[in-house]
Amino acid sequence: MNARRVVALLSKELAELMRNRAALLPVVAVAFTSMILPFFIGLAVPGMTGESLSSDSDLVQALAGAADELPGAMALSDEAAVQALVFHRFLTLLLLVPVTGAITFAGHSLVGEKLGRSLEPLLATPITTLELLVGKVAGALVPSLVVMLLTFGVYLAGVALLAEPGVAWVLVTPRTLLLVLGVGPLASLVALQVGVLVSARANDPRTAQQFGALLILPLTALFLGQMTGIVVLTIPLMLVVMAGLTAIWGVLLAVGIAVFDRETILTRWR
Amino acid sequence: MIVASHLTRSFGSRVAVEDATFEVKAGEIFGLLGPNGAGKTTTLRMLAGLIAPTSGEAMVGGVRLSRATNDQVRARIGFLTEAPGLWDRLTVEQNLMTYAGLHLLPEPRRAVAAVLERFGLGERAGSLCAELSKGLKQRVALARALLHDPPVVLLDEPTSGLDPQSARLVRELIVDLRDRGHAVVLSTHNLYEAERIADRVGVLRGRFLAVASPAELRQRLFGSRALVRVAGDAGQFRDVVAAAGVRELDASGDTLRFAVDDLRVAMPTVVRALVAAGADVVEATTEDAGLEDVYFTLVEGRAGDSGGEA
Repeated sequence: MNARRVVALLSKELAELMRNRAALLPVVAVAFTSMILPFFIGLAVPGMTGESLSSDSDLVQALAGAADELPGAMALSDEAAVQALVFHRFLTLLLLVPVTGAITFAGHSLVGEKLGRSLEPLLATPITTLELLVGKVAGALVPSLVVMLLTFGVYLAGVALLAEPGVAWVLVTPRTLLLVLGVGPLASLVALQVGVLVSARANDPRTAQQFGALLILPLTALFLGQMTGIVVLTIPLMLVVMAGLTAIWGVLLAVGIAVFDRETILTRWR
Repeated sequence: MIVASHLTRSFGSRVAVEDATFEVKAGEIFGLLGPNGAGKTTTLRMLAGLIAPTSGEAMVGGVRLSRATNDQVRARIGFLTEAPGLWDRLTVEQNLMTYAGLHLLPEPRRAVAAVLERFGLGERAGSLCAELSKGLKQRVALARALLHDPPVVLLDEPTSGLDPQSARLVRELIVDLRDRGHAVVLSTHNLYEAERIADRVGVLRGRFLAVASPAELRQRLFGSRALVRVAGDAGQFRDVVAAAGVRELDASGDTLRFAVDDLRVAMPTVVRALVAAGADVVEATTEDAGLEDVYFTLVEGRAGDSGGEA
């Protein structure tokens, strides 16, 4: 694999995205929604009802069981500790940002080239299938991760500004960083690879997007499991999830290379 | 530069190209002529290493076509596809820079600047491709195909849909490619274009019906035709000319038209006979059939297999 070809394709993908910022809208919308929800529950609802979070027995009980999850929260006031728990558990929703980005961009990657009739000239270059797939995946992964990291930054800044003092610092744990910098990118990578794989065989971006969207289901289950206390995202569990996602990505990449056939794409796509 | 031997490609039970055998040398333009669905694009795609032949083989730019060597083949060809296929949201320069990277050119900026200059696109380097006219898009696509200075250039309908001025410019660029020593395969519907710029043509309808220069095809199918104009009524000299051994003689007004096997032998004989018979010869010239006549004769099967030699 030649990195120069991958960089050339990646640069082109990013330049195209910069000229078509509307494509970022779904990702920004998901980022905004996933960010606003915990602020609504953690700050707006108590403000509107006049009841503090720490007066909710369920939340207090959940906090008691989360000593390992959020050790720093135990040193905070009761209200701040419960806020920390809410903001921490909603962090899982941030994983939807890169996955949505992946679904949006990957769905268009090869099908978009085909619809724009730019695929055949591209395939007529010496670029290998691996270089093409890596370039396409990277072209969608980079903006997705940038949006996710920006969202995470804004999220922390919002918590620092609006929540009880100390809550923001409690959120920055190895577990959080592993979630944002490890699980998030890998989940995005898997969604992307699914999207690109389907995109290589489909005629319509929506088909690719529908398959990529399947990854939202386990993420939603993970979020709900965490909120109900059924699932606790410990570091070992996240490492297992990351290993699983890496393995799935590797298999998808290998399958992608095997099924990506220039001839089929050129002769069957009309 | 290109040696294709018995190339055949089937899609299911349909044979798109059958037993295509031809060569294209460096500094030669080879025209692929044929109706829609004749297999022109399939032939180009096989030569570009984009689709594999069902049987037969080919050497392109010194590399034998195979799945293992397709990437090498693609590095040696420039392929202008039927649609320009530019990235419309990017500028002309961004399009070319991307391809310079894909071809691993050592000095991409210099290479891009060179093709922009060569194709008269310097002033449009910063224009978005979406804003370009069809003719300009085709020039950018041609510049893209030649960015890495490939020895083999494959052009699929390069002037299709262009206005006469743009088409003429593209034709001039193609002739320039030949002059620079590229081997050019030109797929076209435009018989005038093929006649004007192709050194040899292959008339394709699934298989090659003929491969030769336009002049050779005319000679092969129609022989040589001549025209002699005399002062006064040509009809009175009809028997004189017929006695000289010509065929398909027609006398009309002041003009005698006929076919001969060898013009260099027959024409002086005819002129001498006419002068001896008292005719005032005003003009004696050849009258070749156009490539269009040749094409329709071959494609509509009027020539049977007589022109099928490759």
